[in-house]
Amino acid sequence: MDSSRDDRLTATLEELRPEPRPEFAAELDRRAAAGFPRRSRLAALRERLRALAPHRVLVPVGAAATLLLVVAVALTAGGGSSEDSSESGVGTLNFLNEADGAGESAAEPAEARSDAPAASIQDSAGRLDGAASRAPKRSVERNARLDVGVPADRVPDAAAQALAIVDANNGIVMRSSLEQGSERPQVALFDLRIPSGQLSDALAEFSELGEVLSRKDRSADITAPTVGTAERLQDSRARIEGLLGQLAAASTEAERETVEAELRRERRHAARLRARLADLKRRANLSQVSLTIAATDGSSAGGGWSVGDAIDDAGRVLSIAAAVAIVALAVLVPLALIALLVLLARRAWLRRARARALA
Amino acid sequence: MDRRGARSRGVNQALVAAAEEAPREADLAFERLYRSSRDDVYAYVASLVRDAGAAEEVTAAAFERAYRKRSRFDPRRGEARAWLFGIARNAALDELRRRGRRAELAAEPADLDGARPDESAAEAERRLAVAAALARLEPGERELIALKFFAGLGNREIADVVGVSESNAGTRLHRAMAKLREACDGLL
Repeated sequence: MDSSRDDRLTATLEELRPEPRPEFAAELDRRAAAGFPRRSRLAALRERLRALAPHRVLVPVGAAATLLLVVAVALTAGGGSSEDSSESGVGTLNFLNEADGAGESAAEPAEARSDAPAASIQDSAGRLDGAASRAPKRSVERNARLDVGVPADRVPDAAAQALAIVDANNGIVMRSSLEQGSERPQVALFDLRIPSGQLSDALAEFSELGEVLSRKDRSADITAPTVGTAERLQDSRARIEGLLGQLAAASTEAERETVEAELRRERRHAARLRARLADLKRRANLSQVSLTIAATDGSSAGGGWSVGDAIDDAGRVLSIAAAVAIVALAVLVPLALIALLVLLARRAWLRRARARALA
Repeated sequence: MDRRGARSRGVNQALVAAAEEAPREADLAFERLYRSSRDDVYAYVASLVRDAGAAEEVTAAAFERAYRKRSRFDPRRGEARAWLFGIARNAALDELRRRGRRAELAAEPADLDGARPDESAAEAERRLAVAAALARLEPGERELIALKFFAGLGNREIADVVGVSESNAGTRLHRAMAKLREACDGLL
């Protein structure tokens, strides 16, 4: 009995099954045979937008505009960072007024370092007010590093010319070396001291030896430690004079021994101050120059474009491309994450909306 | 229904094979899927949207969408017909959302009016009673019945379409049928 009722129910349900119009079925068959040709995307978009309620368009458009604004502001705020490069280009002399650690002698006392160039003027005005009032000549220490490229077979000649330049400028060669390759010299290294007044001329002449590969110039104002040391030396000398007077006036052996001991200490102190002052003056008068003359296989200086240059250029191009890619990633990754979140949120919302439509 | 189930399996196997063969085979498999499912998809969609014009638009859109996505069909994730009806379901529900209408699952109202020339008064009365009982069911229940009797899907395919387990789909379908049978009691 139940079985026949179920059969009748099933049969009735199948009778209730909606059937497509023959015209529609034929039209759909035709479109299927043609591979469902696309309608114009613009027309389809216009149709969809027309079907949407205004608030459903405005909300996403507003959100997208806000997002674009945020990204634009972030990009604008993030840009424009600058970096001071200590490498100067060919022919530019870039004196950096900085408290230089690299150029300082290792023997520089901590006391002198505290008189850092950046603060030296203020300190001079206060602590060394006598010296400041006399407006001492500024004492500036200068260092330079110069790398020059020449063809490999010209390295010895260029090294000889460099020595001649040093000599012509009354400079001093502290150290020099000529590194030999398997067949011929590849690099010449010089540690030089050039009178500060002739540093610019000497560097210009060194630059003419070949192609300047890199050049670094540094300067540090050492007026404050120089003046301070000179004053302390003056004080020390005055104390020595005083002690000598006391020594002459000493009446007992014990008194004489005490004054002599103090005199020895003060003379040692004065000697240290003299040495330090001499060092400071030497540093101001003689600039330290590190000169490297390296072989460039004649390519750079000769003007030709070799395989080595091509590899260098390729490396630079790749570096720039990598930098651009990193910047692009920095922009795209957050955008992609935002897009992913939007997509996931949209899917979840769509799922709920469809469930609501059926409920 | 068995006939339809067998047909479904055949189409699915053809699509599975097509995935490993030339693109032309995929087109042929889709064509076979289209031929075997066109009227079923229309019947299901018409039951959801209850508007012949809208049903035609949604059916066409569903097939077009499926055609564009045919290369993305993964036979390991389910039957081809279930995949197609999932697309049709989403298209129909989107249409309902756009209209702001509630889904009312029933046969086309035009089919329910009046008796057919070749049927008796008792048959016409039974048909109207079943249609009325169907209209009183919950929308989700009516959808299950439409998928089963209008589209001819098996329980596993229904489960894939509505996103529940196969046993859950079977249980819900059984309950829906029991309610429908109870509502039609005395007329069958």
